[in-house]
Amino acid sequence: MPQAQANDSAIKIYYDGLRQGVLKARKCRSCDRHTFPPTTCCEHCGSWDLDWVELTGRGTLLFATHNISPACHPRFEPIAPYVYGHLRLDEGITVQAIIRGIEATPEALRAVFERGPVPVVADILVMDDLPVLAFRPAG
Amino acid sequence: MRNRLRERIAIAGVGCSRFGDLLETPELKGLSIQEMTAAAVKEALDDAGMSGQDVDAVYVGNAMVHSSQLPATYSQLSKWIGTELRSGVHFEAQCSTTNVGAAMAAMAIASGVHDKVLVVGLETTRTRVKDLSPYEREPISHQMTWLWTDMAVNQAYQVPQGYDIFSTYNGIVALGYCRKYGIGIDDFDRGMFEVCRTRRLHGSMTPKANIQETLEDEARRKGYADAFELWRSDKDNPFVAWPSRLKSLVTTADGASAMVVTRAELAGARSQPVELKGFGICYRDLPWYDEDPTYWEGDRRSVDQALDMSGIKPADIGYLHTHDCSHISGLCTAELIGYIEPGKSLAYARDGRLRFDGDRPMSTHGGRHAFGHAWAASAGSDTYEAVTQMRGAAGARQIPKRPDIAVIHTHGYAMVGTTLVLGGL
Ligand SMILES: [Zn+2]
Repeated sequence: MPQAQANDSAIKIYYDGLRQGVLKARKCRSCDRHTFPPTTCCEHCGSWDLDWVELTGRGTLLFATHNISPACHPRFEPIAPYVYGHLRLDEGITVQAIIRGIEATPEALRAVFERGPVPVVADILVMDDLPVLAFRPAG
Repeated sequence: MRNRLRERIAIAGVGCSRFGDLLETPELKGLSIQEMTAAAVKEALDDAGMSGQDVDAVYVGNAMVHSSQLPATYSQLSKWIGTELRSGVHFEAQCSTTNVGAAMAAMAIASGVHDKVLVVGLETTRTRVKDLSPYEREPISHQMTWLWTDMAVNQAYQVPQGYDIFSTYNGIVALGYCRKYGIGIDDFDRGMFEVCRTRRLHGSMTPKANIQETLEDEARRKGYADAFELWRSDKDNPFVAWPSRLKSLVTTADGASAMVVTRAELAGARSQPVELKGFGICYRDLPWYDEDPTYWEGDRRSVDQALDMSGIKPADIGYLHTHDCSHISGLCTAELIGYIEPGKSLAYARDGRLRFDGDRPMSTHGGRHAFGHAWAASAGSDTYEAVTQMRGAAGARQIPKRPDIAVIHTHGYAMVGTTLVLGGL
C-alpha cells in the first residue's frame, strides 16, 4: 500500500484499506475507544487525539434482513436484493453491512434468525467503482 | 442545559394541504409548489386570525431541494403568503423539520426577540420540476426519491456501502423486537397486519390523507377473499426487508403544512390555541442503535428533555404520534415513551387499543403509511392532527375522550429524534 499522503482524506485511506482487505479504524488516546469507520475525531468523547489502527475483521452477526430491489443506490442494482446485517465486531463496534453467503429469501433469513448469533469474517465486496465492507459466516 | 422556556408558548393556528401528488390528486392537481404551500399557510393564518404581515419571522423548511428547486424558500414564497419584509430563514431537519421549526420559534419567542413566528414545511417526494419549467412537473422514480433522500444519510461510509433504509429501519428493528420479546415471525406478521389495518382505517376517515382506502376495501377491489390474504400476497405486499412488508412502510407524497407560534397571551380570541409545553431534540448518525435495535438512545434523550421541560408524565398522554415510516420502529418509540407496555404493541394493535376509539389512540390521521410522507411537511401534519384532536374537531375519527396532553414524536432523517408536548391553554 502506498504511504498515505498528508492530505489524504480518512475516507480515501479507509477505502484504500478495504481494497487490500484491511479495515482501518481510529482509536482514541483519551478514552481508548474506536471510531469506525474513521473520521476526524473520537465519536465517543470528541477528542481529536487519535491513532490509526487495523481491526481484525471478525465479529458476530446478530440479525440479518435484506434490502429492496431495485436498490436505493444505483451502485447496488446488480446485486439487489442482498442480505444486510447488524453486527458486533470483536472490538465491540456495532456495524451494519452487506452479508455474503446467505440467500436473500425468507426461508434462508428465517433459518439465520432461528439459529441466533453467527460468527462472521470480513469478506470485502469489490464493486465496479468501490470496494465495499461486507462479511460472511465464518467457517 | 437549563431546558426551560421563559414564556408560555402557544400554537395559535395550524394548516395542512392534502397529501398526495401534484400531478394526480384532485385537490393538488395543477397547483405549483408555491400555491400548495400557500394553501397550508392561509389555513394556519386564518386559524390564528392573522395575516402574513402580523408575523415577525418565517421559518421555512424544505429538505429535498432537488425536486422543489426552491432554495432561499423564504423569499421565493413571501409574495405568495404575504410575508414580505419579515425576518426569515430556510432550514431543514428532514422529516422533523416543521416540529424543529416550532421548537426554534418557541425559543425565539421565549428569548424575547419575536412575538409571532410562522413555521412552514413543504416537500415534493412524488413530483419534480420538469425541464426547468416554472410550472410543469413530472413524476420521480422511487429510486431517484431514495437516492436524493439518502443524501441526508452518512455519505462517507453508509450509503456508499449498501445502506438501505428499509433494512436498517424496518427489518433489523423487527428482528430485534421479535428476539427481545420472544415473538414468532408469523405472530409478528399478523401484528403488523393489525397495525396497518388500524392506520388505513384512520386514513379512510381523514380527508387530507394520501391513502383513504381501508385495507379491507383494497382487498375487495383486488379480488382477495379478505384483507389478510391481501396482506400475505407477494404481489401486492412483498417483503421489502424480511420480515417487514411493503405495507408496514411510508408512502411518499407531495404536501405542505404550517403553524403560527406566538406568545401565549397573543394567541387570538378568534383561534383555539394550544400550548406548546415542551420539546426535545437529539440527533445521532448511523448506526442509530447499538446491539439492541429496539432501543434508540437519541429518542430516549429527546423524550426525556420534552417531558422535563413540559413537566408531564407518560401517564398524562392522551394522544400520541410517533414517527412511523416504519411501523415497528414507531411502536418501539411508543414503548420507549411509556405509552405502551414493553413488548405489548402488537397485542395492543390486535385488541384495537391503538385505534382512535381505543384507550391508547395513535396516529389517528393514518400516520406515514396512510396519511403519507412529504418529508419536511410531515411533522407539521402530525401536529395539525394533534391540535385537531385536542380541539375535538376530528369528526368521524375524533378520540372520544378529548386529549388534554398530546405528544408528537418524529424522526428527521438521519436521525433527529424530535418530541413536542402540547397541552390545553
Ligand atoms: Zn475518545
